[in-house]
Amino acid sequence: MELSYWWILPLAAAAVTITTWLYRRRRPQSTRPIAHGGRLTELPEYQQALRRHRTRLALAVVLGAVFLAATATAAARPIQRTTEQPEIRNRDIVLCLDVSGSMTSTDAAIAAVFEDLAKEFDGERIGMVIFDSSSVQLFPLTDDYQYAAEQLTQAKEALDGGTGSFFDGTWNGEGSSLIGDGLASCIQSFPDTGATDTKRGDNQLGDNQRSRSVVLATDNFLSGAPIFTLDEAAALAAGKNVKVYALNPGDMDYGEQPEQPGAQLRAAAERTGGSYFTLDSPTAVPGIVQKVQETEATSYLAAPQAVVADTPAWPLGIALLAGSGMLLLGWRLEP
Amino acid sequence: MPSLLRRVKSKMFIFAHRRTLTLLDGEYGSVFKGRSLDFDELRSYVPGDEVRDIDWKATARHGSPLVKRYVAVRRHTVLLLVDTGRNMAAQAFSGESKKDIAVHAAGVLGYLASRHGDDVGLLHGNAVESKYLPPRSGEEHVERLLREVDASASLDGPASGIAAQLDYVLRYLKGRLLIVVIADEFLPDARTESLMRRLRGRHEVLWLTLRDAELTGEAGSQVQDSTDVGTGRGIPRSVAVDGKVRAAYAAAMLKRDQGRRDVFHRLGIAEEQTTASGNVLAAVFSLLEKHRSGTFTTRTFARGSTRAG
Repeated sequence: MELSYWWILPLAAAAVTITTWLYRRRRPQSTRPIAHGGRLTELPEYQQALRRHRTRLALAVVLGAVFLAATATAAARPIQRTTEQPEIRNRDIVLCLDVSGSMTSTDAAIAAVFEDLAKEFDGERIGMVIFDSSSVQLFPLTDDYQYAAEQLTQAKEALDGGTGSFFDGTWNGEGSSLIGDGLASCIQSFPDTGATDTKRGDNQLGDNQRSRSVVLATDNFLSGAPIFTLDEAAALAAGKNVKVYALNPGDMDYGEQPEQPGAQLRAAAERTGGSYFTLDSPTAVPGIVQKVQETEATSYLAAPQAVVADTPAWPLGIALLAGSGMLLLGWRLEP
Repeated sequence: MPSLLRRVKSKMFIFAHRRTLTLLDGEYGSVFKGRSLDFDELRSYVPGDEVRDIDWKATARHGSPLVKRYVAVRRHTVLLLVDTGRNMAAQAFSGESKKDIAVHAAGVLGYLASRHGDDVGLLHGNAVESKYLPPRSGEEHVERLLREVDASASLDGPASGIAAQLDYVLRYLKGRLLIVVIADEFLPDARTESLMRRLRGRHEVLWLTLRDAELTGEAGSQVQDSTDVGTGRGIPRSVAVDGKVRAAYAAAMLKRDQGRRDVFHRLGIAEEQTTASGNVLAAVFSLLEKHRSGTFTTRTFARGSTRAG
């Protein structure tokens, strides 16, 4: 507890002293001279009333002093100086969901998990892209969690139902499950690195300081000719510091050959610094997402900051009480 | 400085009808003029004349009331005994200074006396000193006395003590005097009462009381803070308007008034109270009336006491 304008206190004390001095110096108030005051002053009722009057006066003086002291203290702006180390959670997550027919139940499980997670997010940004033969951005990276949750709910319902206009725009290309193109467009969801640095303030982390991850759900059964191969997309991700966490619900690899779809996906994910998970059933999704969350839990502690907060509550509260008391007393003193 | 007596006279003539003034004249004459056996003249009756002075036979002959006048036994000496201590500078019941009312009352009595050719003297003072101005006749002398009273009482003067003046009269003044005491509403203590009794025995005493200021008041009224000139202590306004205090004060004042009346009744001194300079005339008139009607009873009272003594 300290005061911003401590010099107000001696100033107020000086003002009170000068006022007292002027009050004392002024000519005595005109009272009427009367004789035989004993007619009244010797009555016990009068003496009692006078004692009460004096008590009230003394109380009024005390309250006045408290009021002055409290208001002077409030005028001197008492402040509370604390040091805070703000925790900054700065992750960007893009859900990249392959919505080809075999994937919908896994996608629904992922959407459900992130719908729940979005409610607890604070500082993270989440975006969602679905793809089949072409990709559609459902919503870009946002920290409007309510909106994100809404969108995720809709996505979950649509994925559970498997029909409707939700999938519009995902069949514009040739073939289906163009995974390389889908991943590339997911990676395009992240803003360019470096360009935004200058715009940000000192306290805010630039986009390049935020950790980036893509949760990619696909079985990696490619049919068609993508513009980006999976390897090219992975290279793009590595170039933008995006980690890819691949979830594969249908790992049907035979043997350890690197050209098997699962192995390719694992290689691509690990190349970006991410991981590869196989899923036996959609119910395993929450556990895996949990794992991803833990590996990605990069909440930084920012530099300690001195926080100065005004704390006028208690002096003003005391002043309010003293002022009300004075009003009450004044009403009693001046019938 | 304008003449104080002229101010008194103009007030008398403004506030009183001529009839009242002649009434007062007659009253004064019948109270203070002694009766001798030397018949002087018959004159027509003036209201206020003693009814027993009416010459009924002459009245019957003449058709209108005639009064017998005798040659006065002697010239009376009226002594105005005025308290001019600090108390008299305080406020009276009406809010005027008690000193002003005292000057007015002394003026009325002095004027009446000088009209009848009586000598008027003044004894005034406070607890510390008494000042005596020997009786003389003439309005100029009355004027001088009034100025003396006016100049003496002040808020920074010594406290009042009428007992000192009573003592002075008893000690130093010889001969029978008509003493008109002008004092405020003090409550006589035992010593003062005994002095008053002795004074009553030696002189004719009339007592004019100037009512003191009311100390309490309604909450809405213009009551100010008061300062007791005797003790210097203040009486805060808000205490003075307190309901309980007012009730207690009213009861105490009733008792006190009764006590004062008892004292004067016991001593056989005619006493009248005045609250403002406006009703001094009425008070003086009723004081004279009281004194005249009370003469008989007090005489019997006095005789009773001598027998007892």
